[in-house]
Amino acid sequence: MAASAVKPGEEKKKVIIDTDPGIDDAMAIFVALRSPELELLGLTTIFGNVYTTLATRNALHLLEAVGRSDIPVAEGSHVTIKKATKLRIASFVHGSDGLGNQNFPPPTGKPVEQSAATFLVEQANLYPGQVTVVALGPLTNLALAIELDPSFPEKIGQIVILGGAYSVNGNVNPAAEANIFGDPEAADIVFTSGADVLAVGINITHQVVLSDADMKKLEQSDSKYARYLCKILGLYFNYHKDAYFTKGVYLHDPATLVAAVNPSLMTYTEGVVRVQTVGITRGLTVFDNTKKRYGEITAWSDKPTVKVAVTVDAPAVVEMIMQRLMMDD
Amino acid sequence: MGQNEQIHRGKVIIDTDPGIDDSMTILTAFEAPSVEIIGLTTIFGNVSTENATRNALLLCERAGHPEVPVAEGSPEPLKGGEPLIADFVHGSDGLGNLFLPAPTTKKVEETAAEFMVNRVSQFPGEVSVLALGPLTNVALAIKRDPSFASKVKKIVVLGGAFFVAGNVNPAAEANILGDPEAADIVFTSGADIVVVGINITTQVYFTDEDLLELRNSKGKHAQFICDMCKFYRDWHAESDGFHGIFLHDPVSFTALVHPEYFTYKKGVVRVETQGICTGHTLMDQGLKKWNSENPWSGYKQISVAWTVDVPKVLAFLKNLLMAL
Repeated sequence: MAASAVKPGEEKKKVIIDTDPGIDDAMAIFVALRSPELELLGLTTIFGNVYTTLATRNALHLLEAVGRSDIPVAEGSHVTIKKATKLRIASFVHGSDGLGNQNFPPPTGKPVEQSAATFLVEQANLYPGQVTVVALGPLTNLALAIELDPSFPEKIGQIVILGGAYSVNGNVNPAAEANIFGDPEAADIVFTSGADVLAVGINITHQVVLSDADMKKLEQSDSKYARYLCKILGLYFNYHKDAYFTKGVYLHDPATLVAAVNPSLMTYTEGVVRVQTVGITRGLTVFDNTKKRYGEITAWSDKPTVKVAVTVDAPAVVEMIMQRLMMDD
Repeated sequence: MGQNEQIHRGKVIIDTDPGIDDSMTILTAFEAPSVEIIGLTTIFGNVSTENATRNALLLCERAGHPEVPVAEGSPEPLKGGEPLIADFVHGSDGLGNLFLPAPTTKKVEETAAEFMVNRVSQFPGEVSVLALGPLTNVALAIKRDPSFASKVKKIVVLGGAFFVAGNVNPAAEANILGDPEAADIVFTSGADIVVVGINITTQVYFTDEDLLELRNSKGKHAQFICDMCKFYRDWHAESDGFHGIFLHDPVSFTALVHPEYFTYKKGVVRVETQGICTGHTLMDQGLKKWNSENPWSGYKQISVAWTVDVPKVLAFLKNLLMAL
């Protein structure tokens, strides 16, 4: 892994993870903490796998569990950008506590006073062009940051999004992927904001699978990260066996985190992405990646482009995740 | 062609908006020994419905089948309003601006939907519909007669863009966008449906060389088709940077008579009728057990063409087009 190691004096990539932990979120956060290329500026929380209040609690808990309560947690929006309170919460995937129903003790720390959106704007202003946001949940906080500060898209370094289903079926329903479905209006704002966006959809993350054999290896590791994750992964494995008929689990969030650490493990194409916000396909991501010249002006015309991951070196991604998690402190 | 096959020619109604590639298909279909065209029904799309009727009559005459009935379809989509007309693709007359003289025959009294319902009721389980335009007429037939879906033998639809960008905008293909509500009714009707989308039809094309080969052939309609295709070919160069023509309609016809040249995936298909993705065709591939009911739940699966044997389709079409 020499290529991705940070040389002395080289700047680490500043990262904020916007997250709804979530079993695979926990894994992504741990991989980030174990990646010498990254400096984790903070976690911002959002609803999705759990409600935002629980996401905040879990974010604090995860950092405390591995002795990193020095990292700030900023609580995000409890409702969608349109102020909708009827949210889709994937507790059937992650457990009612979001972390595999382990009944962990409550965290002792507290979130910072700022909202997630304020924290994002402040960090972007503090380190213009240098902050990467890894967005692992619905995009409400990022859309709020853009509303709060219209220059946010220019000031933020890159937004790496886990979201969308490009030329494949969704995972909430045939049309929509869960994170985009969680707040389609917010997603459309972020995708068309002009920010440097890199989207990793389930067409990619469904190729990045942690197998039963990988799980066994994790179980044998002495690393506290691996030991923690093994406790919470059981429920996630059961869900996948039932819903997808697979032995193994999709590493959505860790794979997206890896895209921020080492972008060369995926390939990308560039084009305009719009999100459908109404109808039966609400939450559908449609990517204009053709060279076709349409006869008329379309909803995709003249919008800023984003990068969408189209291929992934899945074995290398899984290996990197495993290696980081099993590494001793 | 054995005698038995002559006897068992499949009855087909072609619902069409001619249209250059529609015209190719109609002239080709009249030459195909395995089908009996029992009527053409017309719809807006490449041209207005009125012009589609005129062109359908002209094509029947030209094919030497002025006796084949032409029934005029709906002038507008189910929800009403001005239909979308692709005259920039097919010319203002729909036939590559050849401006042919008016037909000598007349359309029948029945509407397209009545014609479909009546013929399908007359020959239950025997009539297939080849739908080459927006699906308004087929949807009206389904609404008119609830047993239509079970009595029609098969509906082969040219429409949709499955897991690829559309051709009118990134979300939608032209025929489906022409009447999304109708398409959703047809796809969820329970009829035996095969859909051929532009993910398939854009794989099958005539290059400039193929068009030259056709022009130099002794095919009965070769000169006429090549004259017509010039406008169509020039539009492809402009729109797709491609020197040739996509064979959307002829490929769908091939799927009717030679289904074995294609592979299919089965799944429920719904059509979006709202928002920026209006006209988007979305198929549930059935790869996941859904946690709860969704708009795809409970409908009958239809067959979506998934792969195509391009050389076989081209050989079949060239053979018919270049036949004496």
